[in-house]
Amino acid sequence: MSPDLPPLIQMRGITKRFGGVTALEDVDLELNAGEVLAIVGDNGAGKSTLIKILTGVLRPTEGTIALSGQPLVMNSHSDAIEHGIDAVYQTLALADHLTPAANMFLGSELTKKFLGLEILDNRRMREEAERTLQERLGVTLRSMEVSTDSLSGGQRQAIAIARAVYHSGLKVLVMDEPTAALGPRETARTLKLIEAVREQGLGVIVISHSLDDVFAISDRIQIMRRGRRADVVNTRDSDTTSVLGIMVGAPAGQAQTDGASAHE
Amino acid sequence: MSEQTSDLTKGLSRREKLDRYLSLLGPMVMIAALLIFMALLEPARYFRVSNFDIILKDAALYMPMAMAMTLVITTRGIDLSIGSVAALTAIIMGYMVKSYGFPWWAGVSIAISLGALCGLINGLIITRLRVPDLIGTVAMDLVYRGLALVLAKGVVLSRFPEEIVAIGRGAIPGFLPVPVVIGLSTLVLGYFIYTRTRLGRYAIAIGSNPEAAELTGVPVNRYKVYVYVLMGAMAGLAGVMLAGKLNAIQATSAPFFNLHVIAAVVVGGTSLFGGRGSIIGSLAGVLLLAMMLNALVTLRIEFFWQSVASGVVIISSVAFYTWMQQKDRDGQGSFKEALMSPENRRLGKFLLFLTLIIGSLFLLGWMFAGETTAVR
Repeated sequence: MSPDLPPLIQMRGITKRFGGVTALEDVDLELNAGEVLAIVGDNGAGKSTLIKILTGVLRPTEGTIALSGQPLVMNSHSDAIEHGIDAVYQTLALADHLTPAANMFLGSELTKKFLGLEILDNRRMREEAERTLQERLGVTLRSMEVSTDSLSGGQRQAIAIARAVYHSGLKVLVMDEPTAALGPRETARTLKLIEAVREQGLGVIVISHSLDDVFAISDRIQIMRRGRRADVVNTRDSDTTSVLGIMVGAPAGQAQTDGASAHE
Repeated sequence: MSEQTSDLTKGLSRREKLDRYLSLLGPMVMIAALLIFMALLEPARYFRVSNFDIILKDAALYMPMAMAMTLVITTRGIDLSIGSVAALTAIIMGYMVKSYGFPWWAGVSIAISLGALCGLINGLIITRLRVPDLIGTVAMDLVYRGLALVLAKGVVLSRFPEEIVAIGRGAIPGFLPVPVVIGLSTLVLGYFIYTRTRLGRYAIAIGSNPEAAELTGVPVNRYKVYVYVLMGAMAGLAGVMLAGKLNAIQATSAPFFNLHVIAAVVVGGTSLFGGRGSIIGSLAGVLLLAMMLNALVTLRIEFFWQSVASGVVIISSVAFYTWMQQKDRDGQGSFKEALMSPENRRLGKFLLFLTLIIGSLFLLGWMFAGETTAVR
């Protein structure tokens, strides 16, 4: 992290009000290339609102966003995708009856000309999907011709991620609760996928309720509380107890002090 | 080609391989059963070349609509107005050709285009006015049928130009009947749309997971409208084919199109819950339906039983496929156990109670019965 290189994403003084309700107040966020930033916080702490602003779904009331030092104004989610910022939703947005390849290219199908008509190039989509899954995420499906609902949670996650990373300009991947619906084995696989994305030099933001997963995967943790950024910590220098303490609003070190006083 | 196919099915479980052919297998088994049944009951009259010619022409009449309905149902939609659309467009074609001297090709094109317009109206009512498809198309069924009655006022339009009659029942010498050629063309078109175009792909996505389709940038409402437009156009084509086949059309024609077409499509494995459909399955369904309706005629069963038969086919095939789709059968125990569950016992008692009441009402009526007046 050389100081003269601007961070990949720099959000400054982000404030979002819905009518009289202030969802976010003066929130900053920095994300570097090749790092995983976890965002944690209680329900209603403003995690989702912050992410929706970053992915262009919502516009901030105040504040600025810069991408590699360049100011960024987005009016829609497709603006964000165009600038290389994409999200994988908790529901994954997969159509269960379609094949993995059809899902990966849903809404942006590869086509070819046939008698002057534009028709789907199913074979190329299948090959591209297989290659993307293998080379970028290290995932091999037993068949590319299955319907997506027959795949495991981790494989489904892989298809949703592959859809985002396939677009060559992708720089920032936001993952909303990627492990919320998964068992331990599938969680481990999903964390591996996130690892793979980071290793390709992308910036990854993970929203999670599971502190275990956050500590397993992230480089830094941004803790949100009541619409404000409560703290940012290096994952290596922190532990679950202190992050929990900041989340619920206990003064720094109080959790430890409490523990100490119990011994007296 | 065979190598390609084996490559595509590699890694699939036996169940998944079977699933791919289930939509074809289901109607095939039923067709075989029907053939055996008819071989026992009426072999002489059922198994005749002329009879199979009739069956094929019937199936051909339903194929264009079944193809479009497969797409409609795949999007989780339904269109219950197609019979009226067919009647209305055919009547307008009839007037244009007979009263205004339009050439046959103009009349046919007008019918198909008007059908597409009816479909567009259906689609807009569903997507823009947000009227649920079931209610919206039933209401439009009344509208289109009403318009047909207003226009025709009980008149039967008949004796069409020979080209239109040829569309309905003509034959290409040494080849297939014209309607069969039309039916097969729409089958190929439907298969192409389903597997090779955005329309087919998006129809599956919309029916499978509308929110996901929306999130990934599929223009959901626009493609829903396209599907209904195709449905309307195919209903218009069917109207032309029906007018030609009978060489006559009236406002009350095609009363059971909705029922028959939906029956054919769901027998062919297209799921009413969306996302899952099969054009080839619909072909099998159309054949089965045409054979079944023909069998009813051959057995000299009254025409009105056709409606009963189609209804039973719809219910039983939807129930069958729903049961097949059910993945978790844990804790269900034996069939008998499931049948005799406490809930079912209660419902059984209720059914018994209702039967007793109806029985005693009839008994009372019979005891106090007076002079009879003839019904007909």
